[in-house]
Amino acid sequence: MKKWTMTLLSVFVAMTAVLAGCGGNNDKGGSASPSASSGASEQGGSKKNVTLTYMASQGWIKDSEMELAKKFEEETGIKIDFQIVPSDQYFNVLKTKLNAGEGPDIFGGQSGYSEITMNYNVEKNAVDLSDQEWVKREDPLSIEQLTANGKVYALTIWDTYSSFVVGYNKKLFNELGLEIPKTYEEFKNAALKIQQSGVTPIYEPIADGWHHVLWFSEPGPNYDKLEPNLYDDLNENKKKFVDSQVMLDSLTQLKEMYDLDFFGDNTLSDTGSDTVAKLGSGEFGMSLVAQSVATEIAEEYEEFEIEDIGFFPIPLTDNQIYYINPGGPSKFIYSGSKYIEEAKQYFNFLTKQENLQFMLDNDPTISNLNFPDLKNKYTAEQQKLFDSYPERGTDIQNYVNYVNPQWMDIGKDIVAMLSGVIQPIDVLRSIDQRRAEMAKVAQDPNWK
Amino acid sequence: MNRAIYPFYFGIATLVVYSIFFVVPGLMGIYYSFTDWNSYSDEIRFIGFDNLAKIFSGEAKYLSYIENTLVFTVSTVVLKTALGLLFAIMLNDGIRAKGLHRVMLFMPSIVPMLVVGLIFKSILNPASGLLNESLRAIGLDFMAQKWLTDLNWAFKSIIAVDIWKGVGYIMIILLAGLQSIDKTYYEAAAIDGANFWQKLTRITIPLIVPALVVTTVLNLLHGLKVFEAVYVLTNGGPGYATDVMYTAIFKEFSTGNYGMGTALSSVLFVVMTVLGYFVVRLMSREGDER
Repeated sequence: MKKWTMTLLSVFVAMTAVLAGCGGNNDKGGSASPSASSGASEQGGSKKNVTLTYMASQGWIKDSEMELAKKFEEETGIKIDFQIVPSDQYFNVLKTKLNAGEGPDIFGGQSGYSEITMNYNVEKNAVDLSDQEWVKREDPLSIEQLTANGKVYALTIWDTYSSFVVGYNKKLFNELGLEIPKTYEEFKNAALKIQQSGVTPIYEPIADGWHHVLWFSEPGPNYDKLEPNLYDDLNENKKKFVDSQVMLDSLTQLKEMYDLDFFGDNTLSDTGSDTVAKLGSGEFGMSLVAQSVATEIAEEYEEFEIEDIGFFPIPLTDNQIYYINPGGPSKFIYSGSKYIEEAKQYFNFLTKQENLQFMLDNDPTISNLNFPDLKNKYTAEQQKLFDSYPERGTDIQNYVNYVNPQWMDIGKDIVAMLSGVIQPIDVLRSIDQRRAEMAKVAQDPNWK
Repeated sequence: MNRAIYPFYFGIATLVVYSIFFVVPGLMGIYYSFTDWNSYSDEIRFIGFDNLAKIFSGEAKYLSYIENTLVFTVSTVVLKTALGLLFAIMLNDGIRAKGLHRVMLFMPSIVPMLVVGLIFKSILNPASGLLNESLRAIGLDFMAQKWLTDLNWAFKSIIAVDIWKGVGYIMIILLAGLQSIDKTYYEAAAIDGANFWQKLTRITIPLIVPALVVTTVLNLLHGLKVFEAVYVLTNGGPGYATDVMYTAIFKEFSTGNYGMGTALSSVLFVVMTVLGYFVVRLMSREGDER
């Protein structure tokens, strides 16, 4: 008997010790932000000794923003600790952190209603920023992309009007007597000619995991034009991706480009950070680029002037529409952060008119921002692009639900398609499958 | 039972802690694998065998994750053991500066896998990587491959990198086994006219079986749990060709499909338990013979 009492007693003691430990942790769980290194205690005076962690995918934080962050630190004492994650791993890392309740103070994310609600669950994970002053100034189209149920959840400072277009080496085109292609056939022939001349036609950084999806998604408005009401039918679940012939054609054309070796030998290992070098060196003739690439190339390569890089929209499925993506990488404040006010302060600082202009002036990758009354840097070629393609439309991921959240998965599917493991139709099928799953979880009435 | 030195309740505190931190979460995990638990809704619904059905229906690449994991495990177990034994025998005796060689072979084991992975990612880059550059430099262009992006090579490359890193560790264990073999056996065998092969199969291998069992168990568990090597080298690509169980679980969790993630973990748990059972039986039989 004595033994049993002892046993029970020891069990009891152990249990209480363990449970007490758990309880203590739970209490702290809500308020403690493990990501914010709190530094020392707050000093007197106006300067605070605070470090905000800011996690984002590669390429989302411009050098000019980092300079502004330094100025911000000088003014306020609030330090910004940038954590840049390679783009093919970013969303995994971010979502794991958010799901584990250990988000950074500020996190970068993509835009669009289904993206922010499904992927980041902003209503739980992000701070409502609707009352901030900059909301009134930011482009309403961008704001709309970051709004869920009437509340604004993120700040977008992005060159939203400069979509990814095919940038081509004009000198090379002139040498070979090539015109700007208006159809896929013309595009293919141009690429074949470039290939014959010993230059690899297109630099395509597939290793990034996201870039090559643009070929499929950006000509979206053309799909909607060729198959009227496609976008709305997709949203209302009256049509599926598999049902669309034009989307299948688009993927088939992309596959053909890959099979014809337009992207070169190394495309599956190529990364976007080399784009400027690859175009500038003349090794490649074209690439799907942000329009600022022309300026970057001109700065780094003497033999290139800004006008030597021309632009045209992706011509798959004979697209001639200039597609627009009013969203873009955006900045969210994590709801579990200890320093919400400081983060808001940082956003206010960034959106000051002079700071926006500073970013615009000091960053070669930006030609305009989504805020009014800024002096833009559009080049003659960009202006020509805007003038030559008067027809406008929104790309798929910013209109059709449940596409943006599966962007990286689509990327993987397309790679599997290019390697010949699956067929183009299977890519569409997987997209439908994931959309159905997301819709089910979101309890979308159209999927019932 | 009565001969036990300590009364059983000495272990209870440990058992309680162990249960709370290992057994209970494990059982909860198995329960959750029958639900649609996810990060998008607060409601957790019981959905029976839906998740498992999905895994084994073969539709969504899950079977290939299992297959990849098993291929990885089997090939690393076999190759690491064979190479480890080869190196151990070579460095056991009769070679100059064997200490140096042993250290060189062991070195990769102490470097973190992520670092190794990043280094090899650059070495194996098809355009600018050290390997292909070297092959081209000595005129072996035809051997240059897209090591990490070619469907035929990606998984083999991962296995090779993992073996490069892990073989030294296995070698050290086997070396310790070899050192414990009494030299007189070999002398006696030599007098009887045994050649190298006969000595190996009749003396060396039978006497290092305990060490081999240990390395096999270690390799087996390492192989089934592989994650970093795949994650950092290909992140499952090209497409889904090199995804293994743990990268898949990681992805399910990061997309918020906790239910599916736990279902995959449960499958792995069952596989490991079954394998573990057989290995433990094998080991205890070894023990009985002695």
